[in-house]
Amino acid sequence: MSGARARWSFPQLLVTLGLLLIAVVFFFPMIWMVMNSFKTNQAIFRTPFALPESIDFDRWIKAWEVGHIGQYALNSAIVTGVSVAAILVIAASAAFAFSRYRFPGRSLALGLFALGLLLPLQSYFIAQSTMFRQVGILDTRWALIIPYIAMGLPLAVYLLKVYLDALPEELFEAAHIDGASDLRVFGSLAMPLLRPGLATVAIFSALACWNEFLLALLYIQDDRLKTIPTGLLAFSSRYVTDYSLLFSALSIITIPMVVIYVVFNRQIVEGITAGSVK
Amino acid sequence: MRPDRRVAPWLFLAPGLVVFSVAVLLPMVLTVGFSFTEWNGFGAMTFVGLDNYVRAFHDTFLRASFLHVIVYIAATLVLEVLVGLCLAGLVSMRRGRLWFRVAIFTPVMLPMVVVAVLWAFVYNPDFGLLNGALEAMGLAGLQRIWLGDPSVALLAISVVSGWVYAGFYMMIFYAAFRQVPSDIIEAARLDGAGEWSIFRRVKVPMIRGAVGVAVLLCVTGGFQGFDLFFVMTNGGPYGSTEIPTTLLVRTVFRHADVGYGSAMAVVLTAVVVTCGLAYAQLQVRRTRGAAR
Repeated sequence: MSGARARWSFPQLLVTLGLLLIAVVFFFPMIWMVMNSFKTNQAIFRTPFALPESIDFDRWIKAWEVGHIGQYALNSAIVTGVSVAAILVIAASAAFAFSRYRFPGRSLALGLFALGLLLPLQSYFIAQSTMFRQVGILDTRWALIIPYIAMGLPLAVYLLKVYLDALPEELFEAAHIDGASDLRVFGSLAMPLLRPGLATVAIFSALACWNEFLLALLYIQDDRLKTIPTGLLAFSSRYVTDYSLLFSALSIITIPMVVIYVVFNRQIVEGITAGSVK
Repeated sequence: MRPDRRVAPWLFLAPGLVVFSVAVLLPMVLTVGFSFTEWNGFGAMTFVGLDNYVRAFHDTFLRASFLHVIVYIAATLVLEVLVGLCLAGLVSMRRGRLWFRVAIFTPVMLPMVVVAVLWAFVYNPDFGLLNGALEAMGLAGLQRIWLGDPSVALLAISVVSGWVYAGFYMMIFYAAFRQVPSDIIEAARLDGAGEWSIFRRVKVPMIRGAVGVAVLLCVTGGFQGFDLFFVMTNGGPYGSTEIPTTLLVRTVFRHADVGYGSAMAVVLTAVVVTCGLAYAQLQVRRTRGAAR
């Protein structure tokens, strides 16, 4: 927001000060979290609001090690990476079908995905878990990847369809006249043009997968496969009273995400709000 | 002219349709099927007709859980949507203020479990931030065991939800406010309207559509809320924060009462889908009824 320096008036100054106050109060829990991560348990109890006596990262290193946070982060990265890649390819292909072709059954198929926008997780996860148990993929990464893809598809298909619908018809006609096959038109023409849409979908899908908790809780018992949310929960029940260690673990998980957010805030905010206002 | 080959579109659709059908549609149909049975998840399945629904209708715990989630939704409509709307109003009075929007949106990024564990510490009666802050302000009389007191636990969780999502709704409303033509606002200002009445009588009515979407998201999302409740109280103290999702997960995965849990799931789904359809209906009527 450059060049927007309107005249400073007294009420506006008051509003800005008010916003500043709100922001400080708002951030206090996170600041307090980081402060306490540098303290011993005794210090947390004795003087929970004092500044830490020294900033040393011993507790962080210990939390990283005993908390298996590296393992959880790796698991989250694998599950998120595979799911998002699959969502992008599969959703783009479906959106291409909806946007470029008129065929019998089109509105029915479109309706199915529309239904998916509305269906809560609770409508299917009970039977999904029994299905996964029968097939023997409970407690494997597939038990998360498959539902994450399926959950991500409806919105991704809709958004990408909107993008494709906005592209000029002539582009595709020209490609066909040049003798390009349908698959080539999709791969070499539609996909590159879809890049902004794909970026938006990737952002909100990645965040949804990274943060998903309920299915991860129910489908993964093996600690070596847990993702960050369920891993943190397991960690917090192993070290219930080691507050200093828990504050360190929370900080380790939170700070990188906040940094990523601050750097890419425009894209992330756009991605998430586009992903919700369907 | 569009290519109208018969097979090509289905080939492009196939992967998506297969994944979605196998992982969502089929288990949804099966869940409805389970709801007519008595089943522990492993042994024999007995068909019991509508028994589970009759039981759900008379189940005081289920009824209480719906009451709790409705209170929670009402609280989050204020703490998320209304607060978000007011913040967006303040932020959009003057251009700039990007720092504030970026700051308040931050918690949306974080896993809810992280938020829940952090806020359980904020509410901790021994070293918690909230009780400490109250004491520092000379309000020690207001100190509570926030998550252990049945009269405030539900509200305490709602506040956390507000902390996370107020910034999210602020962003939605901020984007909507920017679409309001500035000459309308200028005209109101020339007519002598103050900032507050411009906000209430011009800007908010102009973004009615966005408010509608926000309310829908908040209500349907509220019925599906789980993470904060599961981590912070898991239904307690004394069942005061039990909501349908926590009750349903316990019924199915702890008590192995799959049939009854499925009936609860169907009821919950029906409620959410009804809200969605009611909203869609309202939209249709509005676009038909009014010129704008």
